[in-house]
Amino acid sequence: MKRNNCQGLPSRMPDNTAFQQQQLPACRPSLTARAVLPGFFATGVSFLGMGILLILSAKSVKEIEITYTDLCSNCSKLRENASNFYKECTCSIPFFIPEKMPGNVYMYYKLHNFYQNYRRYIISRNNRQLLGEDNTDVENCAPFQRASNDRPIAPCGAIANSMFNDTILLSYYPNSSTGINVPLLSSEITWWTDKHVKFQNPKSSNLSSAFAGTAKPPYWRKPVYQLDQENPENNGFLNNDFIVWMRVAALPTFKKLYRRIHRIQQFADGLPAGNYSLDISYNFPVTVFKGEKGVVLSTATWSGGKNFFLGVAYTATGAMTWLAAFSLMAVHLKLKKKKASFQC
Amino acid sequence: MTDPLQWARYHWPRLMSGAGRNDGERFYNYSSLLVCGKKPSQTPKLAGKHRVVIPRARCFKEEYEKICGTYMNNRIRTTKYTLLNFVPRNLFEQFHRAANLYFLLLVVLNWVPLVEAFQKEITMLPLVVVLTIIAIKDGLEDYRKYKIDKQINNLITKVYSRKDKKYIERCWKDVTVGDFIRLSCNEIIPADIVLLFSTDPDGICHIETSGLDGESNLKQREVVRGYAEQDSEVDPEKFSSRIECESPNNDLNRFRGFLEHPSKERIGLSKENLLLRGCTIRNTEAVVGIVVYAGHETKAMLNNSGPRYKRSKLERRANTDILWCVLLLISMCFAGALGHGIWLSSYEAVPFFNMPEPDGHNLSPALAGFYMFWTMIILLQVLIPISLYVSIEIVKLGQIYFIQSDIDFYNEKMDSTIQCRALNIAEDLGQIQYLFSDKTGTLTENKMVFRRCSIAGFDYGHEENAKRLESYQEVSSEDEDLTDTPSGSLSNMTKPKAHSCRTVNNGPLESKSFNQLAGSCLALGGEDGVTDGSLSRQAAFSSPIETDVVPDTGLLAKFSQITPQLFTLPHESDPHLSAEIWYIIDFFLALAICNTVVVSSPNQPRQRLRLSSLGRLPITSLEEIKNLFQRLSVRRSSFPSLCSGKEPSSGGPNAFVSRLSLFNRSKLAPPTEEDASQLSDRAQGPSKTTCLQDQEESEATAGSSSGSLDSPLGQTLASDLHYEAESPDEAALVYAARAYQCTLQSRTPDQVMVDLAALGPLTFQLLHILPFDSVRKRMSVVVRHPLSNKVVVYTKGADSVIMELLSSASAGGETVEKQQKIIREKTQRHLDDYARKGLRTLCIAKKVMSDTEYAEWLKNHFLAETSIDNREQLLLESAMRLETKLTLLGATGIEDRLQEGVPEAIEALQKAGIKIWMLTGDKQETAVNIAYACKLLEQDDKIFILNTQNKEACEMLMNKILEELKKDVQSPPNVPIPQLRAGLIITGKTLEFALQDSLQSQFLELTEMCQAVVCCRATPLQKSEVVKLVRNQLKVMTLAIGDGANDVSMIQVADIGVGISGQEGMQAVMASDFAVSQFRHLTKLLLVHGHWCYTRLSNMILYFFYKNVAYVNLLFWYQFFCGFSGTSMSDYWVLIFFNLLFTSVPPVIYGILEKDVSAGTLMQLPELYKSGQKSEAYLPLTFWITLLDAFYQSLVCFFVPYYTYQGSDIDIFMFGNPLNTAALFIILLHLVIESKTLTWIHMLVISGSILLYFFFALVFGAMCVTCNPPSNPYWIMEEHMMDPVFHLVCVITTCVALLPRFIYRVLQGSLFPSLILRAKHLDKLTLEERNEALKKWKEARRMTAVHSGPTDTKKLGRGRNSCDFSMTAASFCTKERDSPVFKATSDINNASGMAMKVVPSSEHPLQNSTQK
Repeated sequence: MKRNNCQGLPSRMPDNTAFQQQQLPACRPSLTARAVLPGFFATGVSFLGMGILLILSAKSVKEIEITYTDLCSNCSKLRENASNFYKECTCSIPFFIPEKMPGNVYMYYKLHNFYQNYRRYIISRNNRQLLGEDNTDVENCAPFQRASNDRPIAPCGAIANSMFNDTILLSYYPNSSTGINVPLLSSEITWWTDKHVKFQNPKSSNLSSAFAGTAKPPYWRKPVYQLDQENPENNGFLNNDFIVWMRVAALPTFKKLYRRIHRIQQFADGLPAGNYSLDISYNFPVTVFKGEKGVVLSTATWSGGKNFFLGVAYTATGAMTWLAAFSLMAVHLKLKKKKASFQC
Repeated sequence: MTDPLQWARYHWPRLMSGAGRNDGERFYNYSSLLVCGKKPSQTPKLAGKHRVVIPRARCFKEEYEKICGTYMNNRIRTTKYTLLNFVPRNLFEQFHRAANLYFLLLVVLNWVPLVEAFQKEITMLPLVVVLTIIAIKDGLEDYRKYKIDKQINNLITKVYSRKDKKYIERCWKDVTVGDFIRLSCNEIIPADIVLLFSTDPDGICHIETSGLDGESNLKQREVVRGYAEQDSEVDPEKFSSRIECESPNNDLNRFRGFLEHPSKERIGLSKENLLLRGCTIRNTEAVVGIVVYAGHETKAMLNNSGPRYKRSKLERRANTDILWCVLLLISMCFAGALGHGIWLSSYEAVPFFNMPEPDGHNLSPALAGFYMFWTMIILLQVLIPISLYVSIEIVKLGQIYFIQSDIDFYNEKMDSTIQCRALNIAEDLGQIQYLFSDKTGTLTENKMVFRRCSIAGFDYGHEENAKRLESYQEVSSEDEDLTDTPSGSLSNMTKPKAHSCRTVNNGPLESKSFNQLAGSCLALGGEDGVTDGSLSRQAAFSSPIETDVVPDTGLLAKFSQITPQLFTLPHESDPHLSAEIWYIIDFFLALAICNTVVVSSPNQPRQRLRLSSLGRLPITSLEEIKNLFQRLSVRRSSFPSLCSGKEPSSGGPNAFVSRLSLFNRSKLAPPTEEDASQLSDRAQGPSKTTCLQDQEESEATAGSSSGSLDSPLGQTLASDLHYEAESPDEAALVYAARAYQCTLQSRTPDQVMVDLAALGPLTFQLLHILPFDSVRKRMSVVVRHPLSNKVVVYTKGADSVIMELLSSASAGGETVEKQQKIIREKTQRHLDDYARKGLRTLCIAKKVMSDTEYAEWLKNHFLAETSIDNREQLLLESAMRLETKLTLLGATGIEDRLQEGVPEAIEALQKAGIKIWMLTGDKQETAVNIAYACKLLEQDDKIFILNTQNKEACEMLMNKILEELKKDVQSPPNVPIPQLRAGLIITGKTLEFALQDSLQSQFLELTEMCQAVVCCRATPLQKSEVVKLVRNQLKVMTLAIGDGANDVSMIQVADIGVGISGQEGMQAVMASDFAVSQFRHLTKLLLVHGHWCYTRLSNMILYFFYKNVAYVNLLFWYQFFCGFSGTSMSDYWVLIFFNLLFTSVPPVIYGILEKDVSAGTLMQLPELYKSGQKSEAYLPLTFWITLLDAFYQSLVCFFVPYYTYQGSDIDIFMFGNPLNTAALFIILLHLVIESKTLTWIHMLVISGSILLYFFFALVFGAMCVTCNPPSNPYWIMEEHMMDPVFHLVCVITTCVALLPRFIYRVLQGSLFPSLILRAKHLDKLTLEERNEALKKWKEARRMTAVHSGPTDTKKLGRGRNSCDFSMTAASFCTKERDSPVFKATSDINNASGMAMKVVPSSEHPLQNSTQK
């Protein structure tokens, strides 16, 4: 486009391109009632539909929550005093499931008012140690980096140290006398990537030698390689409960997956309705931070747990959109009448 | 007779120094007394204030080293940095900005372990990125400068070398003060040089200063006095004088100093002797000079102040809102700190998720809260967006790019387009409320066309000429072609200028860097267009409209009476007629002579015509000269009447003596070619032409010869001559004179040759030129008239000045006196008439002096000329002494044609709500008429004229007008303000009163009610004061536009200064922020680009505030759920990149490309501009609404996911991910809603941003197992992509967050569309529909106007009656009373010293003339 003038020098004339002259073809969305009406109606319909779907799906979820902080008052009193650290305390809580819980049933423990997202708490961990690369890497783990004998703590940090250490057993009472232990699985309660990538035990012939030279976190009773006495595979950093705990909760009230119901025998279709009891070995103190703890039994659907919020939100928004659409239509009709005088 | 004077002029210093030779020291004191006036004499060394330059020759080596060794050499370095100091210096400069310091503070804060929120390194990232980007930009800019500097430093010039005893080629950078430099034609001057030798026989050198000030006409420079007569080149070996001059300064128009010979003889130096760095030698074969200033001390370099930095109104606005943001940040942090303290203290014991300090104890809640405050500041720092600063810079660059590439600003004739010199105030263009315009050259073309003249009281209408002008169509001038024809003989000199300026360019330097010879900084700001149109401007000067004047038949008839006989029998046959004819002759002679025009012919462009044919003859012996002279005298004898026979007695002997000496001098040197030409030139001395007998006599006695020549000029057709003048009206007058066959043939510093039809060529000895200045408002030349051999002063100047200088008692007796009186009255009437027609008037006068008078004046004048310190004042006084007791010859009327499209532009700008003031130095009538012609004032306007002689009167008058205006406005209370248009005209003198403190407010109140204000007779200072007053008192955005040096101060004071790159040089452009080539370009610049830039940038800034508040608040809301502990629920990298990468480009693109209304519609509906004036796009309220919306959106964006995931096993980063994703969608879609246009670039950038976000999140999630210690985004995005709930959450969050704004926009679009929105709809229509709609639109506007119409007209009618009063004072100028415009209202009320007239323009006599 550069025109040369008679002197053979390029002219200063700017290029006459659509871009330089700001004449690019452009879409000019016009936000008038008429233009957006179809969109509003369509959105309203789809949102309403989605909302109803979500509500139905949430409704199908069966969920039971048992808060046992106060139900085991003697134990909670005991745990208030740190000197009773090694004293065992168990308590049993009977409860009733009114409806059958079909399909996969998950057992969660739920903590209230536990600020796992507290800033200085969540940064107190070391991912490289957990990756099994270097047991002695305790950077960022303050104040739980080293034990008094200067051994590195494995796993280090406040998160690991404060691991939830109640054990919960679920018994089913088909009748008042006999109790059957509901078979619980601790496998596959973690993310696959966590179990296989993020957490690895140090390479060694056996676990105890792998963690040789390290100290256990001060609040723990047993070292990390003895977390699960029954299943030797479920030990060290690869312990499922440990992995679940290390995934820090976003909000101060949270639940964490503890076990899944093994669907065998009479539990093949889920948990039948009836009497149950929880046998809890009560170790985790919650009263010090005015917290509560509980157990949640829940089935699951594609839309998560028994939470109606999303469904309601969709429904409400859908309804709102329709409302807006109708009022816009009124506006539009009104304007159409005045069109003759209103010229734009 | 002439020669003693000449002699005195040249030898005065010699006499002086002769006295001093006896007592050197005393002489020095005397001289410095002379120099410094009454000031205490200075020490001989003149330390500090003056500089001494001595040649760099062997004999002075020691002294040279002592004195000149300390001066800068010619190497220039315009770069800021060197390789070594780049990093520290750049960092130092960057941290001068408050914003960067703030971000540095944040980084430092993060290094404090107690308060750290992020990892230390991460917080540094944004700052480092920004600093790096700016550093790279600075570095590249500096590197570019470095390269140019290097090129310039390595240019070659010829410097005298002591070793080789000749001029050798050296780089510019090796030139030092005291060097001798030899330059050939078309070479660029490497340093400031005092001219010592020129091949030109008259010691003249022509330079082109376009590289310096853009003026393409040639300027003459003279060899230092005493060297001009030198026969051969200055020999640097023998040069032993020293030069004393001022210390380096940046005043291009001043150079003072003297050259001191070893004999202590002093010769004054002026700017005429100085060749400035960066200029080009033209039309002179070679020059030699000595360097006095080099490198950075040259005037050109000292003049480069670099680009200007202004803050725009919008930015100031944004800055206050940034302060609000800071306040918001602090309060949010305070809330966080308080919350943390309360949260902590709610626990009796320390919860075990709270860490004790490393030393084991726990913090008290109060202290922890205090620390948390700082942590929060780090966490929420994004609220004050670092990216905003960078983005604003980038957007402004983009906007400037688009303004500069707008093809509508391209002027083909000048090959120039708009220049944006200030890069950061483009958005101010959209908010202009007051426009201050110069008249000449801005509204008008500054193409002066001779229209009419009045001689000896007779008006010559020049009807034919007027007709020609009317039918004249601007054709692209063919003169270019003419000048382009090469002409052979002088190979390097004869190239047409247009060519030569380009040819030089084809060297190693490209044309752009070529400019930078003058200095690279200069080129930085105004690199485009300094070189522009040297070609075209030449054409502009000589376009046919100006050069071809059709003579008036009446005058021509009178002219035909001029016969040679007239001169033999003066005042005899018909005294009355002949007197008039004498007047006519004098008048045209004055037109031809009284100027500084340079003559060139197309065949030898820029080559001053001289009698070269003779000069080139090898004259070897006296015999030959004698023969030659005899030959010539035979021809000369064909004009026997020329010899009056009276003269020889008085002039003879002296003339003879001087001739003799002259000749002798030339005989001393071998008669080289140059020598001979010099000789012949001299020989053409004025006295010879006057009387042949005299010549013969002298020839006989002295045996010498000198030829008076019938020049070969006769061969050159008069019409082929080209005149180049410093101001176009000078040229116009010379062209006019040519039309009457009074042709200016040649001009040298010593003489002027005029070809008068009936008489043949006349040579006037030029004794003095007293150049034009704005104080005197006139210029004069002193010549020796060849016919009468008397000293005659021709003066030309503003009528008001000249009229006062006319002699009241002329020596010529009563009849002459009477005659003069009549002429004066008649001429005054004609002048008023011209002015009413919008013509520029000039008076021409003359004065005949006796030799004794002249000698006396000369003595004083010489003293003034040689002084250093007080020279200007002394010269001024000297000029005033000369220009008295003048005889009026006549007056001229020159038309200054309106520029193309000016009335339309002014109409559009006024419709856009811009109040336009015209500030001009012209007289009231001219100004008012131009104002009508360019539609600044309209026929229906009420015109108030403010012209008083004292302050009280001014006050009273203003009160009166105000009352009147208010009555009009208030009388119909039910009508919203009617379309009352009023214009105010104020004269310079009254303006002075009005600008005083006590009257300011009243004056402003008055002007606020007027649509247009015309200030006439305003000085440059007043112009800037007016602008300053309006700007500061009314708090409005002002724009000043002008083209000349007198507008510079006004341009600098205004918020935006616009320069017209016209014919009056580049001073205005250099001072301006934007430079356009025509006034009408202002329409598009303001209405379209200004509007766009303003809306774009303000929307973008608002969007940035919104974006940051919306995003940061997500973090803030989260604090309520994490014990106010400063946790962020997103990965830090995402957090940082969110602002830096994912959401930074779309707003920038939006800021550059957004187009709410198309250019065409904006031009057609100027009222759309008003939204920018009212700052509608960015009101304080808008800011708060935006923040409110941001709060709402962040609440939605946080709490929808919160309630969705409440009580679930969601982990912290799983929770953050939907928040981030939804926020990204919300923020980007918000932009889409706000955008009025979406081009593929928008689409690309927005979808690119979204894709980049997901790409980053996925890759980061897949790769990073341990890379970012506390947080760990590993596989989170991947997990979420497969989770339907995640998608559902993002969709609902985005919809709910954007719904209110969307609905608001829809309702606004349908129910209460703003003008802008309605105009936008117009753009969607097809062409026909659009035209239809536009018509309807305009009709609707008119309807509303008509609605209030009846009252309007009634008012006007009433106004006509009631306003038609006036109080005209005795002091009111008589000429105004005479003028028909004011006749209607000139009944005198009282003598209160006031004049107020309301001129309903339906009675305006000019209406008709302006109508056509």
